[in-house]
Formats: sequence, structure tokens, C-alpha cells
Amino acid sequence: MRRISNIAKKALLAVLILLLPVCLFAADSPDAETAEEYTPEFKTIEDLNGKKIAVQTGVLYEELIKDRIPDTEFKYFTMPNDMIQALRSGKVSAYLVEEVGFGVQKANHPELDRLEEVAGYIDASCIIGNNDKQATLLAQLNEFIRDSRANGLLDWLYDYWIADFDPVNDTCDIGNFTGENGIINVAVEGGYEPFSFVSNGRLAGFDVDFVCRFCRAYGYTPNFSEIPFDAIAPGVETGKFDIGMNIVISEERNETGTLSDIYYTCPVLVIILGEDTSELNFFQRIANSFFKTFIREDRWKLFLQGIGVTLVITILSIIIGTAVGFGAFMLCRHGRVIPNKITGFFLWLVHGMPTVLLLMILYYIIFGSSRLDGMWISIIGFSLIFACSVFEMLRVGTNAVGRGQYEASTALGYSDNQSFFRIILPQAAGHFLPLYRNEIVTLIKETAVVGYISVLDLTRISDLVRSRTYEAFFPLILTAIMYFIIAAILTRVVSRVEIRIDPRRRPQEKILAGIRQID
Amino acid sequence: MIELRHVRKEFGDVVPLQDINVTINDGDVISIIGPSGTGKSTLLRCINMLIEPTSGQIIVDGQDITEPGCDLNEIRKKVGMVFQSFNLFGHLTVIENIMNPQITLLGRSRQEAYDKAMYLLQQVGLVTKVFSYPDELSGGQQQRIAIARTLAMDPDIILFDEPTSALDPSMIGEVQSVIKLLAKTGRTMMIVTHEMDFARKISNRILFMHDGVIYEEGAPKQIFEHPQKEETRRFIQRLSSLTYRITSTDFDVEATNEELQAYGEKLLIEAERLSKLSMALEEICINNIAAYSDTPDIFVKVEYSEKLDTLTMDIRYNGEPFKAAESESKLFQLLLQEPTTTYTESELENDPDGFSRRIKISFGWVEE
Repeated sequence: MRRISNIAKKALLAVLILLLPVCLFAADSPDAETAEEYTPEFKTIEDLNGKKIAVQTGVLYEELIKDRIPDTEFKYFTMPNDMIQALRSGKVSAYLVEEVGFGVQKANHPELDRLEEVAGYIDASCIIGNNDKQATLLAQLNEFIRDSRANGLLDWLYDYWIADFDPVNDTCDIGNFTGENGIINVAVEGGYEPFSFVSNGRLAGFDVDFVCRFCRAYGYTPNFSEIPFDAIAPGVETGKFDIGMNIVISEERNETGTLSDIYYTCPVLVIILGEDTSELNFFQRIANSFFKTFIREDRWKLFLQGIGVTLVITILSIIIGTAVGFGAFMLCRHGRVIPNKITGFFLWLVHGMPTVLLLMILYYIIFGSSRLDGMWISIIGFSLIFACSVFEMLRVGTNAVGRGQYEASTALGYSDNQSFFRIILPQAAGHFLPLYRNEIVTLIKETAVVGYISVLDLTRISDLVRSRTYEAFFPLILTAIMYFIIAAILTRVVSRVEIRIDPRRRPQEKILAGIRQID
Repeated sequence: MIELRHVRKEFGDVVPLQDINVTINDGDVISIIGPSGTGKSTLLRCINMLIEPTSGQIIVDGQDITEPGCDLNEIRKKVGMVFQSFNLFGHLTVIENIMNPQITLLGRSRQEAYDKAMYLLQQVGLVTKVFSYPDELSGGQQQRIAIARTLAMDPDIILFDEPTSALDPSMIGEVQSVIKLLAKTGRTMMIVTHEMDFARKISNRILFMHDGVIYEEGAPKQIFEHPQKEETRRFIQRLSSLTYRITSTDFDVEATNEELQAYGEKLLIEAERLSKLSMALEEICINNIAAYSDTPDIFVKVEYSEKLDTLTMDIRYNGEPFKAAESESKLFQLLLQEPTTTYTESELENDPDGFSRRIKISFGWVEE
């Protein structure tokens, strides 16, 4: 009976997974047959008053036009790609993007169109980390920007990466550093073509090229971290990063950080939905999407790498968290005051905080000055979270074993540890292992936020790939499936353990192994 | 030999053990009886230090086990304990429950432990349950296994903490007969129990506990037939009483009836007898004595003796004398004529509470 229901479940799941792309693509192409005369809905920025407009979080482009369209609601997205999807699905009527970014987007999505009118211009600069290198770096960067403007390097970079950008073949040298003046930590978005992006498995782009040239000129070795835009500012403020790239200058920003001189200026465009000129059919689209997501630039290697990172974080956190949680429980078991107070404090702290905040606090504040990379910080953070869960599970599990069991073993003469390990724990295991399994699944899913502290896990890799391909479907579905598989494997392992240690499943011969039995 | 000297236990404001002094000789079978909440189980648990006394000494084989340096686990191996709720290890089979402590704690080989376990299972009549898990057994069977587990450790003394209280009445017998058998073989045992007949049959000494002290101690015959002290007598006869003082006709009869009801439920007295008593109370005290006196003062004491199975109402009063023959209530007259009712009126001299008259009426069991 149970087996049948399992098969039924799996079959249902498979059907759902197969149906999903069909639904998505069906919803995606309502305009395929309507090839009528095309007239754009909006002509001026004022036409957009009262509509919804998408803006990338942290770039502040809305400041440029918000006075002209007072009734407009701005929607914030982490990645340009998400704005395109929002526009195509009608969630917003337009989005704001720099001219340079639009070039690439138009190439991938011919249905996009721009308003003739420009929203405004933005000046980008670097933000300098709040640490003891600040003054030196600021002076050196400004000098480098001045020199580069004078000798034409900035113009050359602009032409290479922006005016004549070739998303597939353009590349830059991210090696050959002398590094005699040490390492500097540089924060770039990483999913922000053409400024910083992953191409052929390596970092490239205007910002990356610029920083590398700066480092070579001043004897530094850059250490790049790819983190979302909105996480750059706090990281620089706490001194975790020495330089944060591509910061749009605004009044407010000037107050919070130390900014360098402007290193490029660029118009901001208003992008709306135009006429779809693509002639690909449904299956061609899928094939195209698949090719772009996995085959081009060997992107499947990135996915493998992301899975590896997610697995390492999850498995190490489970092991360390279990050990720490168990240790803490053993210390607290007899109600000793100090361990209980400390554990209570951690439980309160960890349970009361969103995971992403805990990770960011660990990364930027507690380990702000250490050189531990984001992956180890994630492992520390998730170990802590998991340890708290393990502690609670053990408490619930052992409490569920009646007090009488402990009394009986003590009265027989078992020592405290013997009682715990031989009598209490084996019975508690039956109570807490199912919880343990659920916690593992939760943990796997929670690791998806580590992108915030510059860890390239599965989710973040999928974001980066999406930002290059402007394809939502394959990266998202594949990522979801990968999480399913990881969760399935790990829970299977725990279930095996559960069955193995279940005393009731032992065969009778084993119970009396090696004994001459009387009948 | 185990000796308890001035053992006292406090849990905050509660003092379940006031001052316990007792010596347990080898071969003694001691039953501890007494009302609930008088520290019987606490006393038993002090003997193997499951509960640590606040003060006093417990000397086992010449060693004071309340001393900080004492190896309690060694002592506990010699002091077996059987619990009210059996406490068999739920994750182990019957045979493992009996074998594992021997292997772990006494260092016996698996074969030795197995042989011992099988022998004991035969003794308690459960050889067929070797591979059962505790929750597959009835309460009586679990308790017999628990006794076997304790015996397997070859203890010097076995403490039984209400071994039959958690059992269905139908299973009490099987467990008691196992314990009786043990008593006959000369084992030192100490039993907390509410089964008076059982205590009487198996023990050579009875400790009656009351309010955290050993109130009276003696041989079963003495305690059960000729208790020396008032509380013991009350307990043995199961005499517990309700008292009222009536000083006017406004006395709340309704509340009294409710209280009687609860009292009757506690002692399993039939409602019919209680309503007879309540009717007599109302007729004698409210309708007559209180009604005809200016300043009535009536003291009523209701007692039930389980042993004699009689419900007695003792009325002492000052005021107009009541004569049963003059009562105008027909129902009351009928009640007096019933063969199971006894009624006496008397004058009192030198009553400690200063009352001058007494009426005693008691109701016996009515055969259907």
C-alpha cells in the first residue's frame, strides 16, 4: 500500500515538472499570432504617470524622473533580468536601465523598445572602504581616474565594453598582478553586464577591467567578491571591502561613504515593450534557451560548481551543527547555570533573526575584519542555526522519554552517562530523527541566501547565468530540481539511519547472537 | 543492614520527611502504610538516593551513603527497586531488559546473563515473552518482568514503590503472588503499599507513616488489630470524619448535602444511606433542636468505618432536649424503625467541649 502511494507520488511529481514548462511558455507567448499594425503605448515619460516602473535596487535611477511622474509606483528588483521578465509579464509598464545595459538586453530580447527621451544621466564612481587603507586608496584611485581620462584609457574602456560590446568574445586580463602593496578586496555585482559578469567561467566587464588595470598600476592584487548591489554599501561601510564598484552618485550616498571621482557617465533609458520581431517557434525557443543556459561558455560547469558549494555548506553545517548542538546539550543537561544561560542566549538570538541578516552580521560585523571567505562564514552561520535546532530537538526528544526510564536505570546502578547513552538516547532518537530530517531540508533551502555574502552557491550561480542569458526558465527550473535532488539524497541518508538504529527492526537472531539458547 | 538516622527531606516549604529513624535488618519484610502524601515513597527513594535527603544519615552495610564521596552506583547495584509504573526500557526486548544491566553493571558474560534471565523468567512465568517489547505486554506482565530485572542483579534488598497501584484489579493478584514468593525465600524487602491485606500477609514489620514521621511501628497483628495511637486507629479503620457546628436555623443544608455527597463518593458509600443521614440531620438539628432553642449550639460529626461498614452521626448539643418519639416527621419515624438503624440518646457529664446531651445514630449496610 505504502509502495503504491510512493509510486503515485513520484508519478504526480514528474507530471507536474513536465507540465510546468508548457504552462510557462504558453503564458509567455500570447503575442505570437497577433501580427497587426504596431503602435507603441507610451511616447513620453509623462505617459507613464500612474503606471508601475521597475528599477534595480540600489541604483537610485528613480530619482531622475520621479518628480515628473508623481503618481508612479516604483518596483524594485535585484537583477536587470528580473525587470525584463516583469515587463514581459505585464507586472510593470517600463523599467529604467543605463544605455549600456540596454544594448545587451535588446540583443537577447528584440521585443524591448526604448523611449526616445532619456530619463537622465548618471555618474558612476567607486566607493572606498571604511578602513585604514581608505585615504591612500582614495588618492590613488582619483589619480588613476585623472590619468586614465587624460591618456584616453577610460574612453577606450567605454568603447570596448560599452559602445562595441561583444558579450561572447570580449574578455579582460584578470591576472598578472605584482601585488607588492598587498591585496585589496573589491566588491562587484557580478551579474551586471557589461560592467561585471561571469563569462566563460571567469569574471569580466568594464568594472573588472578597470580595477585590474588600477591594481597593476599601483602594485595591488585584487580579490573580487560578487555580491548583490544592495549588499555592497554595508560591506564597504564596515570596511570588509576596500573598493565597491559602480556606485551611482547621489546626495544621500555622498553622506554615507567616501566616493572617488567619476569614472564614467552614461544616459539612463526608459524601456518599454515594443513589437516582437522574433520568429522562433516554441521548440526553437526551448532549444535556444537550453543552449544559452548550459552549453554556451560551458555554463554547466558553473552549475556544477554551484552545486558543489551548496553541498559543502549544507553537509559541513549539518556535521558541525550536530556536533555543536549535541555538545551544548550535554553541557546543559544537568541544568548547570552558565552553559544554560549561554545556550539560551544563542537560541534566542539565532531563532529570532532572519537567516540572511544573521549571515550578513557575521560577515560584515563579527568577522568583518577577518579574512575568512564567505563560504566559511556561511558554514559558521548555518552550523549555528543547525546547532540550535539540534539542541531543541534533543531537548524535545529526551523529554519525550519518560522520567521513569532515567529513574529505573539510575536505581539499577547505571552511571549518569551510561543512563543517557544506553537508555535515554536510543529512545529519544525515535522522537527526534523525523524532526532532524525536516531540519535538513529546511537548511538546504535556507542556504540559498548565501549569495548575499559573496558565496557563489547554486542559487547565486543561477542568478548570474540568468543575468547573462536573460532567460528565466531553465536556470530557475534546473535550480529547483537540483535542490529537490540534494534534499532527497540527504533525507534518504537520515531515513536509512533511522531504520538502522530502530531497535524494533533488529532480527531476533541478532538480539541473542552468540548465546546457547535453552528451549 | 540499613540504618536511617534523623533523615529529613525538604522540597522548598514542603517537608515530606520530618525525622525518620529506622533500622532494616537482613531478612525483614517491611510494609510502609499510611495516608497519601505522608512521605512513604520519598522515604523509599531516599534509601537508594534517588532522592537526596536534606539532612540525616543513611548507613548501608556500615557505609554512610549520604557522604559526598560515596560511590552511589555501587550501592544502587545492591539495592533493587521496583516502580509503580514498571519503567521497563522501552527500546529493549524483555530478555535484554533483564540481561543488559547484568552485562553492563556486573560484568557478566552474555551467556551467564542469558541463563540468569531465563531462570528468572521461568520464576515469574513469562518464558514465552523473551522477544516481546514492554508495550506489547499487560501491566501485570510488565511488573513481573521488572521484578525479574531487579532480581537478576542479586540485590541485598528490594524496594517496592506501590508495585500494584498502577495495575488493573485483575492483574494485582499475579504480581502480589510473585512478591509473596520472594518474601517466603527470606529476601529483605521494603514495600510501600495501599493494599492492607497484602501488607499484613507478607510483612514481619509494618511502618505507619503520618505527616513525615514513622508514627507507629509494629508487627502486623499489633498494627492492624490493636493500633496504639489515634491516627493509626483512624487509618486502619478508615475512620475519617466530617464535622459541622450549627448555631441557627439558617444553617446551609444544601451545602452540607453536597459535602456529604463528595464524602460518600470518596469512601464508596451508597447515595441511599447518605440521604438517610442527611434527612436525620435536618430533622434532629434544624427542625427540632435549633428551632426550639434561643441559642442553639450543636456539634455534628459524621464518620464512616469501612471495616464495620457503618455510617455514624454523632450529635452533641446544648439546648432543648430532642426526643425521637416526639418527632412529627413520619419519614424519620420510619427510618428509626429500620433494622439497620441504631439510635441512642444520652446525657453527657464532663464533656471536654462542654456539651450536655448526645444523640448517636448509625446506618448499617442494607441487604438488597
